[in-house]
Amino acid sequence: MANRLEIQDLWVSHEGKTILKGVNLVLPLGEVHALMGPNGAGKSTLGKVIAGDPNYQVEKGRILLDGEDITELTPDERARKGLFLAFQYPVEVPGVQVANFLRLALKERLGQEPPIAEFYARLKEAIELLDWDESVLSRYLNEGFSGGEKKKNEILQLLVLRPRYAILDETDSGLDIDALKVVARGVNSMRGPEFAALVITHYQRLLNYIVPDVVHVMMDGRVVKTGGPELALELEKRGYDWLKAEVAGA
Amino acid sequence: MIEVLPANPEKLAERLGEPGWLKEARKGAAAVFKAVPWPDRKTEPWRYAAGRLKNVPFDLPLALPKERSLSRDALPAVVRKRLADADLAGFLVFLGPDLVYAELAPELEEKGVVLTSLHQALRSHPELVEANLYKAIPARQKGNAEDKIPALAAALWTYGAFVYVPAGVEVEKPLAAFFVSEAEELEVSRTLILLDDHARLAYAEEHLSESEGEAVHVGMTELILRPGARLVHANVQTKNRASHHLYRQRALLEKDAALKDLAVNLGARFALSEVGSELLGPGADSEMLGVYFAAGDQHHDHYTLQHHVAPHARSDVYYKGVAKDEGTIVYQGLIKLEPGAQKTDAYQTNRNLLLSRKARVESVPQLEIAANDVRCSHGSSIAPIDEEQLFYLETRGIPRPSAENLLVAAFLEDVLGRVPLENLAHHVARVIEEKVRV
Ligand SMILES: Nc1ncnc2c1ncn2[C@@H]1O[C@H](COP(=O)(O)OP(=O)(O)O)[C@@H](O)[C@H]1O
Ligand SMILES: [Mg+2]
Repeated sequence: MANRLEIQDLWVSHEGKTILKGVNLVLPLGEVHALMGPNGAGKSTLGKVIAGDPNYQVEKGRILLDGEDITELTPDERARKGLFLAFQYPVEVPGVQVANFLRLALKERLGQEPPIAEFYARLKEAIELLDWDESVLSRYLNEGFSGGEKKKNEILQLLVLRPRYAILDETDSGLDIDALKVVARGVNSMRGPEFAALVITHYQRLLNYIVPDVVHVMMDGRVVKTGGPELALELEKRGYDWLKAEVAGA
Repeated sequence: MIEVLPANPEKLAERLGEPGWLKEARKGAAAVFKAVPWPDRKTEPWRYAAGRLKNVPFDLPLALPKERSLSRDALPAVVRKRLADADLAGFLVFLGPDLVYAELAPELEEKGVVLTSLHQALRSHPELVEANLYKAIPARQKGNAEDKIPALAAALWTYGAFVYVPAGVEVEKPLAAFFVSEAEELEVSRTLILLDDHARLAYAEEHLSESEGEAVHVGMTELILRPGARLVHANVQTKNRASHHLYRQRALLEKDAALKDLAVNLGARFALSEVGSELLGPGADSEMLGVYFAAGDQHHDHYTLQHHVAPHARSDVYYKGVAKDEGTIVYQGLIKLEPGAQKTDAYQTNRNLLLSRKARVESVPQLEIAANDVRCSHGSSIAPIDEEQLFYLETRGIPRPSAENLLVAAFLEDVLGRVPLENLAHHVARVIEEKVRV
């Protein structure tokens, strides 16, 4: 099916240990979904596997992007098809300047060298939206960045590269309320019929600013419940234990 | 390997019209060659290269000058390409053993700057050459196996560059020499660069090849820096993959002299570079940078020597190597401090990046210190390319070869950034990028 990111019965292992045990999830273009769940549920693993991390083995199932099976594609091929992962732990790359990196990435995303004026227009717009300073462009990618700066830098990349499907892995963790608002503003500016996001988070807090259309809950390698925004509020109030009991009872 | 020199050094001296002292020096070197064995695994710095040495066809005929010359437009294409993005005050082009083209800004000539072939200098500046040739790399060495190849080189050299900058003269734009190897010959060269008191020069020596044939080059470069002289010197080797390239360089630094040196090996099947500085006067400063990248079955071997004789001198070695495929990269270095070398600052760092599991790397820094009031440090590291960084870059749409290229460029950035020859640094970066991608 076109216009959606679809995960079908995905089983994934890492060094012999099964982590994802039959994940099913549909993210239609134009929507924002939250993915919640306790620590160790497999949320980050799902994000990385969708992005193509070679450290994980897909044992079974498929990942479909706009109807195309991308399970066997390399990470860069997936990205050029419009997929983006904001890392829970962004990687430091000393010696590579943010601006050079973004220009190269945008060139690959567009399939051609972006006109220099357009490139700088995108950069400027993104930096302003994030209340940031242009000096970040000449710094080395994530090197010496504070935790908050690293998260902001992920959103900067999101804004410049303009993917169709974005997975944001705990982009809110470690942020104070102001930074959280800035990050949310960045993501919300992308919302529209040509964009979809899967927002992975522990906390309801972020969802006050990025209001999801759908909330999924993951436990022990599976999506165990899907509902509306009210599900996030309920989890905030009652924790995960009632859900565990419900799943066990079912 | 050969037991007899492929030419008679005395006949060679006569044929090349050389003075008696040079003929004697060649004879002396030939005697050393005859007396000492070929290097083996136990010979410094041949520990890792001795195996490769066996495959070097020293029995090729010695390259003899044929008195060819060329117009600027007819220069080899590899050189014309390099000239297009260089901004030079003068340069020499050698095709095999022939100096086929030379050019020097007239205002430098008026100031007494000399840029020519060593044989031409023997005629135009005989006393300068006699007083300085074989000073940094003697014709008669101690007589160990490590002297075998320098002895061959001293006995048989048939071409090379001579550069002289008179006292107090500052050459602003760089000078260069391009050595284009020809196939199926044994090419033996010698370069002498002499900077008089407080002279200043930037000079790059490039070794290229035009054809794909096998060639052997043995090159010796002597750098003489009189008090207060400042030299930026680069040796960049980008030859074809059938070449064997053996290079030794020694610099003599007198009081307050400063050398900034860059050794680059990117081409050849087998390249060995030995780069040494003798710090003979207080205040002398030798910065020695190195960049090398072995791919396929290339072997790039580097040796550095920081020999502190005088007190209050400084030296700093920073060599970085990259290997991919089944390439081999070797670094060995020695900081040697004589008893009189108090208040020395001497540093030595070697870092290596591996793009494949099959690549081979050796890193052997060494200290030999006979003085006590000194600051010395050495360090080395070997690391595979970071898979997490690669994955991160790839998730932004950057294909693996480009991502690798970014990381290699990032790895080498701090060395190439320290080279005050910007055009040359860009050229080196471009050649490296091509190598990462193929
Ligand atoms: N690279 C890895 N190495 C070892 N264990 C891993 C790795 N990735 C995931 N796991 C394991 O898989 C499970 C799920 O982890 P993760 O996907 O990070 O969960 P979440 O993001 O929901 O907290 C955990 O038990 C974790 O230890
Ligand atoms: Mg996680």
